[in-house]
Amino acid sequence: MVVEDLHKIYDNKVHAVRGISFIVRKGEIFGLIGPNGAGKSSTLRMIVGLIRPTRGRIKVMGIDVVRHPVEIKKYIGYLPEEADVYDRLTGLEHLRFYAMLRGLVGSELEKTIEYGIKLSGLEQSALKRRASEYSKGMKRRLLLASVLMTRPRLAILDEPTSGLDVYASVNVRKMIKEYVGETGASIILSSHNMLEVEYLCDRVAFIAHGRIVVEADPDRIKQMYNAVNLEEAFVKAVKEADRM
Amino acid sequence: MKPGKIMAEMKVLLWKELTDLKRDKKTLFTSILLPLLMLPLMGFIGFALAQEQIINVAVVDLDHATAHNRLLNITFSSGWLLGNITYYLAKYGYNYTVSNSTSIIKNPSIDLMIVIPRGFAENATSLTHVARIEIYRKAGLQTTGRVEGLIYSIVNWFSDQLSKEKIMALARLAGVNATIEALRNPIIYTTTIVSISGSPVNTAFQIRVTISRFLVLALSFVVTPAASYVIDGIIGERERKTMELLLSHPVKPSTIINAKVIAATILGLITAIADAFGLLIYISLSAITYGSQAPFLVDPWLLLVHSITAFFTILVTVAISLPFITRTKGIRSASNIMSIVTMMAVVFFFTALFVDYMRLPTYILAPLYVIPYVHSILAIQTYVIGYSFQAFLHILFLAITSTAILYLTTKTLNTEKLLMSK
Ligand SMILES: Nc1ncnc2c1ncn2[C@@H]1O[C@H](COP(=O)(O)OP(=O)(O)OP(=O)(O)O)[C@@H](O)[C@H]1O
Ligand SMILES: [Mg+2]
Repeated sequence: MVVEDLHKIYDNKVHAVRGISFIVRKGEIFGLIGPNGAGKSSTLRMIVGLIRPTRGRIKVMGIDVVRHPVEIKKYIGYLPEEADVYDRLTGLEHLRFYAMLRGLVGSELEKTIEYGIKLSGLEQSALKRRASEYSKGMKRRLLLASVLMTRPRLAILDEPTSGLDVYASVNVRKMIKEYVGETGASIILSSHNMLEVEYLCDRVAFIAHGRIVVEADPDRIKQMYNAVNLEEAFVKAVKEADRM
Repeated sequence: MKPGKIMAEMKVLLWKELTDLKRDKKTLFTSILLPLLMLPLMGFIGFALAQEQIINVAVVDLDHATAHNRLLNITFSSGWLLGNITYYLAKYGYNYTVSNSTSIIKNPSIDLMIVIPRGFAENATSLTHVARIEIYRKAGLQTTGRVEGLIYSIVNWFSDQLSKEKIMALARLAGVNATIEALRNPIIYTTTIVSISGSPVNTAFQIRVTISRFLVLALSFVVTPAASYVIDGIIGERERKTMELLLSHPVKPSTIINAKVIAATILGLITAIADAFGLLIYISLSAITYGSQAPFLVDPWLLLVHSITAFFTILVTVAISLPFITRTKGIRSASNIMSIVTMMAVVFFFTALFVDYMRLPTYILAPLYVIPYVHSILAIQTYVIGYSFQAFLHILFLAITSTAILYLTTKTLNTEKLLMSK
């Protein structure tokens, strides 16, 4: 996955992304960290092909995202930052619906749903209930499972653990780590949780004001800023970016 | 993209929409059960209440006389008329009082007064005078009209009898051969209702024509639920935060929107059929309660044409509103735009109750052809009197217009527009 000089200007006014470039390799977990409004979600949406870059190029597996917005989605799984369930469908029906939307049928479909159930970690009784009755954590796990169950080569997760309690977050993180171990897929995720990023990511990019401030593996970043943890490094990096 | 793939995706999306709809008891109730029950229920309540009304009638016989015309050998008594009037008043459940004075009308509880004036029997049997019955009705009461109708038919019957007896007596006296009708109504006219090909039609056909006018009106109740379903389906999916995940799947946005349009049209179609059945139940109920012999007129072809017309009427409504729906921010502003479109539909459907659109001059009708709803009206109005091909052309126009607008609208759609409200 290659992103080159990505820009996004909303309504000819808001310059949300100002020239972002990075590469994500196969089997790699790549983390985007940045303050609110830094342009993380905008960047991820452009990679998925949901919104059009104002400038720049994105290639996923050699395919140009802007030119083939529907085709590229076959290889990408995307969990939006704010995603909710359909109130009147059961958990199981959610998995079935999203799997069928990717054109799966027959035994392949059943196997995919089976994997989705395993990923979600939800009980059979819960899966048969309407998703509107789920807790926030159950909903997030269900949706994440629906994104990962089809084994996309590139999974893009916008704040996968936002709003979850510690226990649910740990669960989701384990789910992501296991998934990469099993499938060898690549993941791009955004997060505000430094622990999470340190635990999950092979490489991290700090974003502020629509630009990448620094990009390296977590240990390297800590060294660069002479910080004991990623959080301290992040604060220093953002301060530096604000001064510029 | 392959049509087969789009069809498969459409099937999945429709499955989701319809599963959701099936469990949405509120929408189902308001758009199917309500129209099915509404008309019959209204008819039933109206009838039941009408039954319970209390009307007080006073009958005053000032004549109290029996007269005999010796020349004609005809006898008539005011008491006979009085007896008949009170008999039928009692039979149809009206309260009545027989009084000697016309001042009884000053009594506020009396709603209607029938007076048989002095000299009534004498005049009724004479060759030179007309006998008169006087009715006094209190203003502002609907039901007194029905009592008046009853009195009218009783008086008419007696009048007819007396007229016959007088004519026959005179003919006898003159020693001529005469028939009553030739003397009483030397000139009459007849009307035969014929179809467009000139062959006589029966009552059922005429009732069908009347029903079709109400079917057109019923289309008004169909466009609104379908339209709000689409609004909710598109803007609601955005507001409930399910849109972004949906759009991230390898499906064209136009397929997603079209699936919603089709689901809405299916809902509308079910509403249309429920409406038509409600109308038929209502007509049958009123036929039974009012004792007329109108049969249960389920005409499958008329229902079919109605359903097809309803289908495309809904489709065209949704198609017209779609460009606005996908470009507005919230459900409320989209609903406002929708209600302008549906109001226009309702106005046209209402006029179809009393306007024969195919009889409008070309300079009026031609510009009206731009409005899709005029074609909905014409499809049903032309079909019901026998112009099946014209009806087909109007439906075809609706089909082509709606598909063209839908195609153009969804072609310009992209995920960014659907995701972000402007
Ligand atoms: N649809 C939009 N129209 C206009 N401006 C937008 C739109 N979406 C985002 N923005 C602006 O773009 C900038 C970047 O937003 P973005 O959502 O990408 O940030 P983020 O890094 O994901 O923030 P957060 O951590 O709060 O999720 C912000 O200033 C935001 O206000
Ligand atoms: Mg964000």
